[in-house]
Amino acid sequence: MVASGLAILTRQLTKIYPGFWKSQQVAALTDLNLAVERSQIFGLLGPNGSGKTTTIKLLLGLINPTAGDALVMGKPAGDQDTRRVIGYLPEESYLYRFLNARQTLDFYARLFNMNRAQRRRAVDYYLDFVGLDPAVRSRRIGTYSKGQARRVALAQALLNNPDLVIMDEPTSGLDPVGMLEIKNMIVRLKEAGKTVLLSSHQLADVEDVCDRLVILYRGRVEIQGTLNELLEVKDTFQLEARGVTPEIQAQLMEIAQRNGLTDVRTGRPRVRLEDIFKNLVDSKRTTERRKG
Amino acid sequence: MHHSFNYMSLVADAVIIIVLVAFILSAFRDLARIGTGISRAWAVGRIAFIEAWHNRMWAIPIVWLVICLILGFTIVRGYTPGSEVRVYLTIFIRAQEIILLLYLGILACLSLPRERERKTLITTGSKPVTRLELLLGKIIGLGAAALVMLLAMMLCTWIFMKVVDHRIRSDAMAMYKTEKDHYDALARHVPPDFGLLYTAKHGVLQAQNYITGTLRIAGLISYLHNPPIRYMKGGSTEKVYFEFPSIPANVNYQPDFLFRFRLLPLGHPAKIHITAIQRDNPMLTEEATVKLNASGEAAWTPKHPFRFFSYTDPQTGKVFNPGPVVLRVSCPTFHVYLQIGDGTSLSNASCIVTGVNAAMLHQHGIDYILPKPTPIITGFKSNGWQEITGPGKTGRTPPEVASWEFAHLNPLNIPTDKGDKFTVHLICGVSKETNEAIPTWVALVAYSRDDPSNPVKMLQLHINEKRVTDVHLPRRLLDGSPLIINLSSIVHGHWLKIRTNSVRIMQKPSTFIGNLFKTELIVFCEVILLITIGVVSGTALGWPVALLTTLSCYVLGNLFHFVSELAKANGFELLNVVQMHRLQGVWYYQLGSFVSGVMVHVLEILVYLLPNFTRFSPLPYITASRNMPWLFLAQNIFAAIISIIPAIAFGYIVMRRRELS
Ligand SMILES: Nc1ncnc2c1ncn2[C@@H]1O[C@H](COP(=O)(O)OP(=O)(O)OP(=O)(O)O)[C@@H](O)[C@H]1O
Ligand SMILES: [Mg+2]
Repeated sequence: MVASGLAILTRQLTKIYPGFWKSQQVAALTDLNLAVERSQIFGLLGPNGSGKTTTIKLLLGLINPTAGDALVMGKPAGDQDTRRVIGYLPEESYLYRFLNARQTLDFYARLFNMNRAQRRRAVDYYLDFVGLDPAVRSRRIGTYSKGQARRVALAQALLNNPDLVIMDEPTSGLDPVGMLEIKNMIVRLKEAGKTVLLSSHQLADVEDVCDRLVILYRGRVEIQGTLNELLEVKDTFQLEARGVTPEIQAQLMEIAQRNGLTDVRTGRPRVRLEDIFKNLVDSKRTTERRKG
Repeated sequence: MHHSFNYMSLVADAVIIIVLVAFILSAFRDLARIGTGISRAWAVGRIAFIEAWHNRMWAIPIVWLVICLILGFTIVRGYTPGSEVRVYLTIFIRAQEIILLLYLGILACLSLPRERERKTLITTGSKPVTRLELLLGKIIGLGAAALVMLLAMMLCTWIFMKVVDHRIRSDAMAMYKTEKDHYDALARHVPPDFGLLYTAKHGVLQAQNYITGTLRIAGLISYLHNPPIRYMKGGSTEKVYFEFPSIPANVNYQPDFLFRFRLLPLGHPAKIHITAIQRDNPMLTEEATVKLNASGEAAWTPKHPFRFFSYTDPQTGKVFNPGPVVLRVSCPTFHVYLQIGDGTSLSNASCIVTGVNAAMLHQHGIDYILPKPTPIITGFKSNGWQEITGPGKTGRTPPEVASWEFAHLNPLNIPTDKGDKFTVHLICGVSKETNEAIPTWVALVAYSRDDPSNPVKMLQLHINEKRVTDVHLPRRLLDGSPLIINLSSIVHGHWLKIRTNSVRIMQKPSTFIGNLFKTELIVFCEVILLITIGVVSGTALGWPVALLTTLSCYVLGNLFHFVSELAKANGFELLNVVQMHRLQGVWYYQLGSFVSGVMVHVLEILVYLLPNFTRFSPLPYITASRNMPWLFLAQNIFAAIISIIPAIAFGYIVMRRRELS
């Protein structure tokens, strides 16, 4: 089966949020076709309201698609058994305000049917892992700062050692050190053979970690491909070398045409992801404005 | 009024069965997971419990206790010890019920909507937990909260009642001592009240588990015959009730009622007063007074036969069936006794229907209808009590007799003492018309119905008003046939106030704490049912509408009897029979009547669909006799389960495809 090799596969996935009148309906996602391979870091980008969170909720079965379908780890989205191997970090830290960090993680561990010893081990391990200040661990989450709550939310997403981690803006609310830690953690997850689906507005981070990405605009995929494919400037060639004097430089051009040199790096120049994103959004907006 | 099978309850049952089937079909995958699911549901439940705790659940028992103490100390003034305990228990348990229903009903309605608003349902919903487990978890968690609060309140109730009991016991002992000292010192000619001693010894909390019989009154009972013959006393308030099934008639055949009483003294002129009543519609009556002839016979034909006999309309062929008919007969003539036959055969029935229609004759080969056997005789009734008179001044007029029949006794359930005797308690009220200074004495006769020739007679028993009198009867009376116990006052002017449980066969007493616990369990059944309804309402609705829905369910559930009776009487037409007859045929009346009829039936279906909250009434038992029969508890638990399962099924069906964010 083709699907079994893929962590996520969607076909014509569409979501229209219902409204009482037709004008109130929101086409949040239109004909999304995604294929995320296993052990990949996949980026889901797009401006505000472009349907990233909607996609993720559809993949988790939290909302029902209007049309199309999605397979997650080879099973239909929302399947109870696949949820065992999925970790989900919501875009905001939706946690019970009246529980403390330990109780919270203990509760989610119970939902994975862990026994008492497993729970205790997992709770301590992941609270250390996300670096939550030990002083606040037995305080109610209602009193936490945004970043502290974010760390607890992150811990609950990793609690079951998932094969597929879905993160909706994981770095929102974190301090710079926290952001760096998250970035490293995502790379480590990949090294451990996990699949990561990531939505983020931190383009620099996405650029650093992602293998593949899509950019959504108004619920439609506008750009999709591997990072290399997207960032390469295809009609240009670049040559780089160390210790090049101006005389050699002239010769090099000659020599390079005939024989290969050591330590000569050639390649195509790269644009920055930010530029691509900005160009896309700008051009879309201008066409929209022109149409009225 | 056409009394027929209740289709509305059938409609409601059908809806419930459809819901259950749909549930099983749609939930079988989730149900298959329920093995590990229970622990996940429990995890959800723990969170619901902790949330309740953070919503100041711990303050509820404290608030309750304060309210109860204030109410208790302001209301309970100058009550007798027995009723004092009753009032305290009523306040304590009723307040528990109200507070818990309010608090947990609100929490239940809030539980799912609030999670949806705070979006915690998104995080939880991404975990391997099914919606069924979420639903069950909420119910379990709030149920656990209810249980914890109930146990706390039970403990407070128990401690409080123990203190009250201790005070009552020492008061009773002191009073008994004073009375005894006065009696011993010849300053008082009435012996000390041994009921006080009983109270001092056992307290007022020990549960009285007992078996009650069926009570019948007779003006006089003659033991010379087998079975003994019952007489109704003329000039008294006694009434005898003859009940007939639906009586067929048609235009050509008009049945009569035929009365045949044997009179004592023979041939004395006497009258009877007859009231004919539709059993299912007791406002439709007809009264008449007729004279009995020298052999005690009289025939009577109702003036409005269509009220009591079933007719077929010759034009439409429609059957008009008023249902069973009850004839209530009393005798206004003084100094006579009317012998009431058992009605098991034509020769010993005191009232029969004759001249029934030919079809009946054809089918059964008889042209009469017998009443239900062993007609009921009642004495003067007030507030659920009946009164029987004592003997006449000269002893010529015998006292009225109250007769209890205990059928299906199981000797294993009735403890016996060393002398192989079992205990019967007498508790009667006494109203003294004359001879106020004399203590009340009663006569008690007990025998097996199949062996009346070997009775146990206690012809002079001393009783105290509303206090227990112990009577010990030999065990042989329990074997085999029904036990009959007859009781009459033997003091002129002393009337006995009795009711069904005034004579009771005592079983093993049970502890107060055990019965209190069982009572709390019944409250728990009621509360968890409301929690279920609240949580289920919250699956689809926002909390304000969920609250309203739950409240409506509770109110309708408490109006069960009102609505089903209303529907049985075809809506509000019952309320004004005269208008109904006058207006029949006027179009706007017909329309209004039709609309109100439809509305009442819709209401009726609704009432049958929703759980019947009137079932959960623990108070009568615990207040009246401090006990709680296992059977009643089991019935309540069963009723709760029967209502909870369809509610959960319905909630699951609603929630199954709902989006969690
Ligand atoms: N429950 C809802 N009902 C109606 N419309 C909704 C609902 N949820 C989201 N939408 C709309 O759907 C569209 C996509 O929303 P979504 O949350 O998926 O965006 P996003 O890409 O995650 O944006 P952001 O970067 O701001 O998080 C938006 O226009 C939003 O207004
Ligand atoms: Mg979003």
